[in-house]
Amino acid sequence: MRRSSLPFLIGIAVVAFLGIAATRLLGNQYYYFAAYVVLQYVVLATGWNILGGYTGYVNFGVAGFFAIGAYTSVVLIKLLGAPMPVLILAGGIVAGLVGLGTGYLTLRLKGVFFSIATLALAIVLQTFVTNWDYVGGSRGVYTIRPREVPFFDNYVEYLFIVMLLLALGAVAAAWLIERSWIGRGLAAIRDDEQAAEAMGVPTLRLKLFATTVSGFMMGIAGAPYPYYVTYLDPASGFSLAYAVNSVAMPLIGGTTSWLGPVIGAVLLGTLQQVATVTISSALNLLIVGVNLVMFVTVAPEGILGLAREFAEGRPGRRAAIAAMILGILAGDTGIAITGAAGAGLLQLLGIAIPLLTIVGGGLALVRPGIGGLMMLASAAATAAVFGLDVLTAIPIAIGAIGGALAYLARYRITASAGYEALRRA
Amino acid sequence: MEFNQIIEALVACAGGDCGNLSSILDLLANAVVAGLLLGGFYAAVTIGVTISFGMLDIVNIAHPAFIMLGSFVAYFVNQTFGVDPVVIGVVFTPAFFLLGMAIYRIYYNSFEKRGQESIRGLAFFFGVLFIGEVALILTFGVDYRSVDAAYIGTSVNLGVVGLPMRLFVPFVVSMTMMVLLELFLGRTFFGRAIKAVSQDRLALQLMAANPARIKELAFGLSIATASVAGSLLIIIGPVEPSIGRDYIGRVFAICVLGGMSSVPGTVIAAIIIGIAESFTATFYGPSWSPAIAFGLLLLVLAVRPAGLLGR
Repeated sequence: MRRSSLPFLIGIAVVAFLGIAATRLLGNQYYYFAAYVVLQYVVLATGWNILGGYTGYVNFGVAGFFAIGAYTSVVLIKLLGAPMPVLILAGGIVAGLVGLGTGYLTLRLKGVFFSIATLALAIVLQTFVTNWDYVGGSRGVYTIRPREVPFFDNYVEYLFIVMLLLALGAVAAAWLIERSWIGRGLAAIRDDEQAAEAMGVPTLRLKLFATTVSGFMMGIAGAPYPYYVTYLDPASGFSLAYAVNSVAMPLIGGTTSWLGPVIGAVLLGTLQQVATVTISSALNLLIVGVNLVMFVTVAPEGILGLAREFAEGRPGRRAAIAAMILGILAGDTGIAITGAAGAGLLQLLGIAIPLLTIVGGGLALVRPGIGGLMMLASAAATAAVFGLDVLTAIPIAIGAIGGALAYLARYRITASAGYEALRRA
Repeated sequence: MEFNQIIEALVACAGGDCGNLSSILDLLANAVVAGLLLGGFYAAVTIGVTISFGMLDIVNIAHPAFIMLGSFVAYFVNQTFGVDPVVIGVVFTPAFFLLGMAIYRIYYNSFEKRGQESIRGLAFFFGVLFIGEVALILTFGVDYRSVDAAYIGTSVNLGVVGLPMRLFVPFVVSMTMMVLLELFLGRTFFGRAIKAVSQDRLALQLMAANPARIKELAFGLSIATASVAGSLLIIIGPVEPSIGRDYIGRVFAICVLGGMSSVPGTVIAAIIIGIAESFTATFYGPSWSPAIAFGLLLLVLAVRPAGLLGR
């Protein structure tokens, strides 16, 4: 075992232990219900990242692979009453095979064709399922949970532990792949496919391996889903939220390491679970979309990349990074708070002002002066429009601190740049 | 209507009773005409992607979102001022052109210049797609909206074939736009410059032209077509923000099938898809038709990725 293996394995064991311990301590069912969704996104995002992050091929059909897992379960439950491990294995295998097939058809072309084909695949599958009466067609299908499971007080806790183990398994698999020769081969494909091919990397076989593993992971994420929702219809099984989130989470967290998708999934997933309480699902998608665009434009290495830069520590840069994170934090909480504050024009303002904060936060990395002013202005606007109370104080305070930091960062950058110039002269 | 019914009708006709068969033939003729008109409209939806994806190599999967924006602009202006939707679509093209240029500038500075367009550029447009959709939902709600114009709802009967004006008008407008674009791309200096970018970027640079500048204008042009396509979409039927997604696969299927960067290829492929969808809807039921374009796309990618008219 190599140098840093032990901490990782201990970490996995600790998380598993904590999860199991939690089911003995926490009584409130809602937490398991919410945590299940977040963990499901950890599996989906990790699966997406095997192909998207390590190899550089974008899969937009996550919803399709997820639904393959879910509907394979539906069929097996109806046909055989199969137990959970069988469902998970079967869902993963079917989704993995579909991934292999799609990859085989399109991976020899330019990468973008694979992306478009996966988008198409999800829709074809959805049409197929909508017209397939055995699994409920467009009306949907009910799945009755087994009355009791050994060792657990109720089924939701059991599902939570199942998903926790799946998530840990997926992360461990990603970690193993990343550190093996396969991971290095995939990275070579991502950086320059032709060069990799010329150096003797078996590119097609590696890409097919990645699509299969990636599909498998998305399939296992979907397999327990019929029991989780108990009522499954094509609209929820193929929901585009899966596709957006699974693309956004790794890109926001950072794509080059197993940790990136986990960070992205935990942050965005938790944010959405909290935000669904106050705002609509459409607004939730907006938050994800805005964060995605913001990160890919100004911070292409994601949160991990920002953390690395922060650790390297040029003072002006540090302040700018902190300002960006604060800006995005202020904007996201702002949408969740002021976005729910009213209707009509007031709601539009409640969304537009936090969006301005997020854009300001993004700009803080590139043009700290303008970004800082934008954040300060939108903090002031929030206070002016929605007043200062316990809730609105959160985005206002975070935004104002971020804005001030960014504005200061402007001077630090110019100062350090001037110093560099002097030293060179 | 199922295929075995057609067989039964054929058998009955051989026995002397051709009533069923002729009604099926009428249905068939109507399906072909409807498919042709629908396909003509699909060409207008796709041409923007043919320019951005086919010619400029910018994978703008957010194009349907711009089309929805066009639809809702048409809806808003039509309901407020009562202007004809087609006129609105044409009048707003300069605004869409500028919007397209602005988006390309962000795209160029953030991704293309750094050589990161493959993954992050795709993700960028994916995000733009959802932001556009949600913005429309927040502004206009999730209800279906439609426009008013005198010709919507009327139809002209040519023998057994009915020619619904709400499909015929978009068809004519779309074909006019195709002809104009083909002339523009083939005959004008700027149009040829766009083709040059699509064929050999490096050579263009060596001629001291700036490909980024040309791509900026061309991308503006591709978004400008979304204004017209959006106004046509809302003439054909009521529109709500999320139906844009249904068009993602369709436009890329048509674009690839048509050989990526060819205007006539786009028109032919659009009509093929239109007729295929119309047939499926008539003979198998409309719930299957979304899969047609996507199925064809998967098939084309697997068998002939260069498209029908590709090199």
